[in-house]
Amino acid sequence: METFNNSKPVLVLLLLPCLLLYSLISFNSSSVEAAMHTNNWAVLVCTSRFWFNYRHMANTLSLYRTVKRLGIPDERIILMLADDMACNTRNKYPAQVFNNENHRLNLYGDNVEVDYRGYEVTVENFLRVLTGRHETAVPRSKRLLSDEGSHILLYMTGHGGDEFLKFQDSEELQSHDLADAVKQMKEKHRFKELLIMVDTCQAATLFNQLQSPGVLAIGSSMKGENSYSHHLDSDVGVSVVDRFTYYTLAFFERLNIYDNASLSSLFSSYNPSWLMSTAYYRKDLYKRNLEEVPVTNFFGSVMETIHTDAAYKALSRRNSGRFEAQMSLDSVHHAERRTLMKVNDQEETHDVNPEGNKQPLQGEEGASKCPWSTFCNKFRKGENVDSLVNYGLVTMIPLLVIPTWLVR
Amino acid sequence: MALLRRPLLLLLIVTHQFLQLWIAFGSVNEEGQKQEEFYEELLLKPLPDRKVLTHFHFQSSAPPTSNGRHHHLFPKAISQLVQKFRVKEMELSFTQGRWNYESWGGFDSIPSSNAKPPGVELWAVFDVPQHLIDPLWKNLTHTLSGLFCASINFLESSTAYSAPEWSFPLASGSLRYGTLPREAVCTENITPWLKLLPCRDKAGISTLLDRPSIYRGFYHSQRLHLTSTGSGSEGMDLGIMLEQTLTVVLQPISQRASLVRDSEKHIQPSWSLSSIFGKQVSGKCVLAETSNVYLLLDRGLVAELKQLHKENEKSIENSLTSENFWTNPSFELSAKPDRIFIEECSLLSKNSSVLYKFEVEKYSEFEPFDLGITWKIPIVWLCQQAPLHASRFLTGSGNERGAIAISLKSTQTTEGFMGAHSNDERCELRVDVFQVVPWYVKVYFHSLQVFVDQQPKAVSDIIEKIHISPSKDKVSPGVMELVLKLPCSMSSTALTIEFDKGFLHIDEYPPDANQGFDIPSAIVSFPNFHASMVFLESDSLNKSPLLSKFQEWSHVMSYTEVLLVPLTTPDFSMPYNVITITCTVFALYFGSLLNALRRRVAEEERFLKDKSAKKTGQLPLLLSKLSAKLRGRRSEPPHSSPVSSSFINSKLVFKVILIAGLAVCWQYYFL
Repeated sequence: METFNNSKPVLVLLLLPCLLLYSLISFNSSSVEAAMHTNNWAVLVCTSRFWFNYRHMANTLSLYRTVKRLGIPDERIILMLADDMACNTRNKYPAQVFNNENHRLNLYGDNVEVDYRGYEVTVENFLRVLTGRHETAVPRSKRLLSDEGSHILLYMTGHGGDEFLKFQDSEELQSHDLADAVKQMKEKHRFKELLIMVDTCQAATLFNQLQSPGVLAIGSSMKGENSYSHHLDSDVGVSVVDRFTYYTLAFFERLNIYDNASLSSLFSSYNPSWLMSTAYYRKDLYKRNLEEVPVTNFFGSVMETIHTDAAYKALSRRNSGRFEAQMSLDSVHHAERRTLMKVNDQEETHDVNPEGNKQPLQGEEGASKCPWSTFCNKFRKGENVDSLVNYGLVTMIPLLVIPTWLVR
Repeated sequence: MALLRRPLLLLLIVTHQFLQLWIAFGSVNEEGQKQEEFYEELLLKPLPDRKVLTHFHFQSSAPPTSNGRHHHLFPKAISQLVQKFRVKEMELSFTQGRWNYESWGGFDSIPSSNAKPPGVELWAVFDVPQHLIDPLWKNLTHTLSGLFCASINFLESSTAYSAPEWSFPLASGSLRYGTLPREAVCTENITPWLKLLPCRDKAGISTLLDRPSIYRGFYHSQRLHLTSTGSGSEGMDLGIMLEQTLTVVLQPISQRASLVRDSEKHIQPSWSLSSIFGKQVSGKCVLAETSNVYLLLDRGLVAELKQLHKENEKSIENSLTSENFWTNPSFELSAKPDRIFIEECSLLSKNSSVLYKFEVEKYSEFEPFDLGITWKIPIVWLCQQAPLHASRFLTGSGNERGAIAISLKSTQTTEGFMGAHSNDERCELRVDVFQVVPWYVKVYFHSLQVFVDQQPKAVSDIIEKIHISPSKDKVSPGVMELVLKLPCSMSSTALTIEFDKGFLHIDEYPPDANQGFDIPSAIVSFPNFHASMVFLESDSLNKSPLLSKFQEWSHVMSYTEVLLVPLTTPDFSMPYNVITITCTVFALYFGSLLNALRRRVAEEERFLKDKSAKKTGQLPLLLSKLSAKLRGRRSEPPHSSPVSSSFINSKLVFKVILIAGLAVCWQYYFL
């Protein structure tokens, strides 16, 4: 009996690490649960001022309308418009913005909420929104209150160049700034997945510095290419929409909130001959297979509905977690069905634009070519003495190492 | 059966009694506790320059002892804002366009309280100790910017707001005032404003607010005024009165415009609600206590109509006040008014305005309310003017200095009022001027000059009282408050004050700095004159907040124009271009010149040859031969190669030495 009593603390001591381990594991599993896709946010930025940049505002508002239609509520959309086009004195149609010359759709509508406008659209405010480092007085409607389960759509349009995007013609957002902000967001658990969509000249260069996992980026043009406007509205007097955004919208207009079109079908829908530039997407930081990811992952919204059997009885956290897990299983089934559907869809798009999705891929291949072949090429050309010597010196090192090895 | 029936009857009686009791209790409860109320009203008024003034007035009120923090009709966002920031009174207005004081009038209570300066104007009175006001103001601006989708948060900076001493009647140091003259006003501002209404824009009068029609107007001003009453002690809820007005001046599109004959050109355009807003009112907002539409014919128009009647038919002397006035020979209304009010003849004017009241309650979806007016005869009239017409302009040229001039011109129509005040020996007209100037317009207050009828006058003769708080660079704006005593006989007065233009830091320039900088409107008010319209049978008007608003005595006030000051703006591309191109030209010129003058080719070559012969050993020679072989070319001895090849050689030598050194180290270290 005594011995048993004595062994009790030992048992406790033995059990303690086990418990710790268990709690650690359970904690891990709960964090995995928390990182489930819980909500959707959209940050839509028009960085151009002045009337002749009407199309940039129309671009942004078109995207605003689309994400709102596909289910993201206004409180989860941060809309930044650098100038007032709708009530501009030059606008013949006050309180209306059109993205097509048929004027069938007023993008400004009756229920638009602009969070940052005019002089407020600065690089500083943009980075503050992304990183969440606001003054305490800033109201909630102007903050990106995302969490680690958020999928964020970041759309930017304006005038840009090699690794920069101009804000209001006076400031620049550089690719380093963007990458740093995204990195900080990742560290602060502000997103799970992020889709960056940019419609500017040389948009692809803006993604060069991105490093954070879970980021998918798509730009309207490669380095050295311009992004062009789609058409001019002679009633409004300026171009009303950019090509890239126009064809993005053309893709989304066919969809409704329940559609399962995949991201790859969106990306393959861009035809370089229509865009007059090559749409580029960077997916090396994004782990999931694009054919299985629906566009509503970013452009739509998830709604967390928890079914309760008993009325007036709050479910415990654990239970709700289980329901979420069930939901995710359902969504997997959906995904499978979706891929089946998408196969057909993709074939169609392939027929339409066979070179559409090849060009960017070629670019990627070019970067990852066999180093030996490049060496051979250079050797054959025989023009670069310096590099040749370098190669020679590099080959010398193993030669040096092997004799030393042998001597030992 | 009878046995069964009895308890049933008893049950019925008992429930009936209970119900009655309940109802009685409920009514007592209602009487004892004032309920939240909401009123919606619309005032229409034809303007002399063929335009129509539409003035929407919505009023919600929450009594002090409402059910804790819960509200039925009152917007929660506003009550929270009042509770949190201890706002005693606040007014926020969004305006586009400028109120045309000359043709739309400046004496009524509509222009005095609803004509606002362009952009955003915000003032607020706080019910807290002095040192807490500024932080509260800053937080309030941020909250309002989130609530109304505007950059009101720019008023947070201490350079953007001021604390007037006595220009506002309620001010006792706890008022803060700020304007943003260039703030855009559009759909995103009116949408949250409409969301404060219990019926939003889905039912009642507010359904008329079609965004494109409003913003097509010549002037629109959206205003929110709130007053809180109550002790303001801890735990006690405040009673809040929220008044939302929207004033729009529209040009009705006359269908017959192309067919008009010359003689008909002066006929006022006929309009209806559906023609100016494209919509009709189908019933009232069920949550509103009253829902009325008024048509106001102002004094000038009524006087003109009376004149016309006298000329045409002498018998219709009394028809203006009669019930069938709405079908008179000069115009026709499409709906029958429910009541007609005649203004009480005031001391100041002989004429009185006429107000037609239409109750929207009577109309439904099947029979929508669409008030229209059709003019039959041409008519020209004038609106009542403020005693002085205020305008403001800049003088001087260049980017260094200038002067602000405020000119006050007497309007002819005020002669009558002057008469009323000229009983005294010296008739004087009191005028208050409130002017805020941003810090980068550095005003010299000593340079203030006054001209009465183009004659310079001593400042002390005219200015009775003056309060100045000079601007501090990048800290606070300059504020000037003046009380002028002008002789009634004067026809024009001008105030001028000189200023220097300051320089901003490079970060402080807005992206479109080339457009210039705004000096906000000055407020010119006439405390001797009060705008009020008292209607006969006013006992029945108590229920209408709009008309009781008209009856209040308010100062006649007007705003001057916003001034646009061009400042020196940085343009870095220009000097950059100039510097770059000049440097290039200079470099090319001097470089080639020096080269031509100083260079001796033969000597140089010889020198190099010697040098290379001395320095290069056997190894680099061999290596270069090797590389040449690898490249498949004829080996060239290094001494014959030009400067560039020697450069490569030296580089090669360095690299080889480096590797050799590495190898030696390796050998030494590992063996």
